[in-house]
Amino acid sequence: MDVSFIDTIFGSFVPIAPEIIMIVAALIVPALFFITKNGKVCAAFALVMIALSGALVGLMMHDGGFYGVYANLFSFDAFSALMMLLFLTVVFLVVLVSATSVETTKHQGEYYALLLGASTGMLFVASASSLLTIFVGVELVSILSYALVALKKNDPRSAEAGVKYLIIGGLSSALTLYGISMLYGLTGTLQISEIGTMIAGMSFNLPFVIAMIAIIAGYGFKISAVPFHMWAPDVYEGAATPVSMFLATGSKKMGFVVLFKIFLVLFVVAQSGFATGEMQYIFAIIAAITMTVGNVVAISQKNIKRMLAYSSIAQAGYILIVLAVMSEYALTGGLFHMFTHVFMKGGAFIVVAALITAGLGENISDYRGLSKRAPLVAFAMMLFLFSLAGIPPLAGFTSKFILFSSAIFVDGVVQTQWIWLAFVAILNSAISLYYYVRVIKAMYIEKGDSEEKLKIKKTHGVAIALCLIAVIVLGVYPGPLLGLCADAAAFFFA
Amino acid sequence: MEFPFLMILLLLPLVGALVTLFMGGQRSKYAVYTAGAFSGITLLMSIYLLFVSDLGSFSTSYVWIEAAGLTMNFALGVDGLSILMVFLTSLLVFLVVVFSSSEKDRPNYFHTLLLIMEVGLLGVYMSQDYFLFYIMWELTLIPMYFMISWYGGPRRHYAAIKFFIYTHVASLIMLIGIFALVFQSAVVTGNPVNFSFAAVLAGTAAGFGTTFQTLVFGLLFFGFAVKMPIVPFHTWLPDAHVEAPTGGSVILAGVMLKMGAYGIIRVCLTTLPEGAQTWQWVMIGLALLSMIYGAYACIAQKDLKKMVAFSSISHMGMVLLGIAVLSEVGLEFAIFQMFAHGLITAVLFMVCGMTGHNVGTREIPLLGGLAGKMPIYAAFMMFGFMASLGLPGLVGFVAEFGILYSFWDFIAETQYMWMIVFGMLSMMLTAGFYLWAMQRTLFGKLTDKVDTSHLHDVRLSEGIALGTLCALIALFGIMPSLATDFITVFTGGFF
Repeated sequence: MDVSFIDTIFGSFVPIAPEIIMIVAALIVPALFFITKNGKVCAAFALVMIALSGALVGLMMHDGGFYGVYANLFSFDAFSALMMLLFLTVVFLVVLVSATSVETTKHQGEYYALLLGASTGMLFVASASSLLTIFVGVELVSILSYALVALKKNDPRSAEAGVKYLIIGGLSSALTLYGISMLYGLTGTLQISEIGTMIAGMSFNLPFVIAMIAIIAGYGFKISAVPFHMWAPDVYEGAATPVSMFLATGSKKMGFVVLFKIFLVLFVVAQSGFATGEMQYIFAIIAAITMTVGNVVAISQKNIKRMLAYSSIAQAGYILIVLAVMSEYALTGGLFHMFTHVFMKGGAFIVVAALITAGLGENISDYRGLSKRAPLVAFAMMLFLFSLAGIPPLAGFTSKFILFSSAIFVDGVVQTQWIWLAFVAILNSAISLYYYVRVIKAMYIEKGDSEEKLKIKKTHGVAIALCLIAVIVLGVYPGPLLGLCADAAAFFFA
Repeated sequence: MEFPFLMILLLLPLVGALVTLFMGGQRSKYAVYTAGAFSGITLLMSIYLLFVSDLGSFSTSYVWIEAAGLTMNFALGVDGLSILMVFLTSLLVFLVVVFSSSEKDRPNYFHTLLLIMEVGLLGVYMSQDYFLFYIMWELTLIPMYFMISWYGGPRRHYAAIKFFIYTHVASLIMLIGIFALVFQSAVVTGNPVNFSFAAVLAGTAAGFGTTFQTLVFGLLFFGFAVKMPIVPFHTWLPDAHVEAPTGGSVILAGVMLKMGAYGIIRVCLTTLPEGAQTWQWVMIGLALLSMIYGAYACIAQKDLKKMVAFSSISHMGMVLLGIAVLSEVGLEFAIFQMFAHGLITAVLFMVCGMTGHNVGTREIPLLGGLAGKMPIYAAFMMFGFMASLGLPGLVGFVAEFGILYSFWDFIAETQYMWMIVFGMLSMMLTAGFYLWAMQRTLFGKLTDKVDTSHLHDVRLSEGIALGTLCALIALFGIMPSLATDFITVFTGGFF
């Protein structure tokens, strides 16, 4: 296939072509809403543009000749392309759900503009190669998502969530900026790989340690790692469900991409050798605490969105194993888990959004007898939850299988250094089964107050079906996507 | 391409499960027929396997996942160890379908769960790849969870979740052992990571370190011991059994517990022989503890079904004892005991189920003199109890005799000869509680503590299921070589 038209259209901007499409889309959407006054048209337009951008990423990825660097700030490569696909998948699902969700049918012009703008920021982060562009990308996402969270203006919970998110997000931005400025002061560059080379010869110094701590804390808020997780349940509960889904599956993954970019490049790729062991232990401890706190607190939650928020915290803990182990195989598993998490956690949020639209409450007790009221949705929810718990042969099992085994199989050798982390992760996985099964029990075993059938909107059905297919296919036949993740990880470590 | 016999054997129940699922509502009376047809064909196929001379020719292997430096295979195969388990699984599932043909509460779901369980069980016994093995291992949990939750007794929610989480934790610990085993094989052989059994055996041949073997044996053994279950990891079993419906109990005790013993033989013993030597006395100790504690706890039970559940623990301890002596004879009869216990325990749980269903209670003190009212039922119950306590001429005797013989053979060379007393003690306790329970339920004056006016004897479908099992118990008791001929192919030259 002749793909030279990409060069013709974008010229020297090829490495940031997917972002350009998304920016254009974000700018057109409000105008479109102003003209048509129809939110569905805006959603359809957004879907088309996202698909276009995704197709472009796919084409450019397929023909590796488009890998390149733009202005020394952005680099389009196998890793960033895969992450762009991840973010575009998330936004696609979010827009699909938002189109008919009762929670997001006000201010639609602004809503889709904010959503597309935020996803542009995520694409920027995916391809950023300098601390400056990373910071700008993250800020773009953060500022737009404060507005997204507070969009349900008449709901006090939403306003509270928006304010909370704004204050904590501001703090985290300030911290990261502080850390970045320290690093710049130490090394005189913002290119991550150059920083790595510069610090290779350094001995212990306090500014560097402070910079690292500030950056971990700052982006720790984004991925809701314990002890920086407090905002997540409140924000996920208060925000419209599609927005919660966007934050849990999209914005959180962006935090991981940033952490991978900074820490893996700094300590492994640039082989600075300095303080690597200490950094690994810090991440291992954060990972262990994050997954344990997330899972244990999730047990006592009554609101399903809060439960999913805590489970999301726990999942972040699992992915943090990558930063503790710091190997290519672990990164493969981490990337794959990020993908499967989009579909299983995203799927669960879509089910919640669909049921809220159909008139059901947010409490787990409202889900009683759901298997009779909406059998297919209940079945899908069951599979999403089993997948989150890591029950084979679903996607969550396969990705956890690789992720957890990476704690044992490090750099081609069976090592005992991180085996305790594998044990903690596996026991957590068992704890998580308890609260996931509680929802399944409510849906399938307990009797509900009402037997009335629930009417699910078509677009919600489609979104749930897409996630369900992905959860099953990625579980039974993970080969192709896993191969892409392995390629991306290999490129990252090259 | 040759005919993928095992693949069809594995997937047939899955197709059956899907077909049966749609037999709801108006069509629910057909559910038992579709389930019966699919499990019947599966049974016929596994019987065919028994008459095949060259089992190795059935092995199939397809590369399933090949990415990120890992290879997982969809590999199936049968040998002398798995063939009997495959036969037992398909036999018991078919007989449970026959036995439960009068199930009125959503029969389509009941039989669908049963058939999914059959897929998982057959998959465990036939898989030749650790990834597939683990998936199939876990696949048995979900249908059992729903079966207990939907069709179980009053405390079913507690029992179901306890069963699910307890055995899931054990599986996960086993999974860490599998990781270590597979990756270390790749390291010592220098080959790429491959999850097939053959690749791990190549690792064994290349030599794992002794420390490695000891550690990994511990992890794997824990996973399998919980499933068997071995005291002190048995506490999930009595709850699960008491609350499970009869069909669920039969499958649980008949073939699901055997997964644990199968795993110890298939994974621990074949791949980690040095680890087995290190852990030998621990295994013997746990085995004797299970045998005696299980039998001792039986005496105290008031619930007939709970008593049978504890007797399962005792008998699975016997299996572990046969394995733990690490001799060909011991292993041979341990496998034979797995088979024998599968047949016997199915009879026992069916009889218990009929008691609960028919009389309305399984509490032994409330029962009495049932033989007069229900003579055929009483005959089956006596037959089952006799087989279970090891009456010569029946299948249980051969197995227990062989295991105790091999145990004696092993300890006679050591200074611990007196330990044979424990084995004998367990046998005596077993005989004691069975005879006592029989006396209190079947004989004496007809009980006046429960309403006995509506009692009826064994139904035809129940009679067919029980009759088949009893015939097989007698057949294999008189001619154990029918089964041991398969087993010796596997155990010959094992150590």
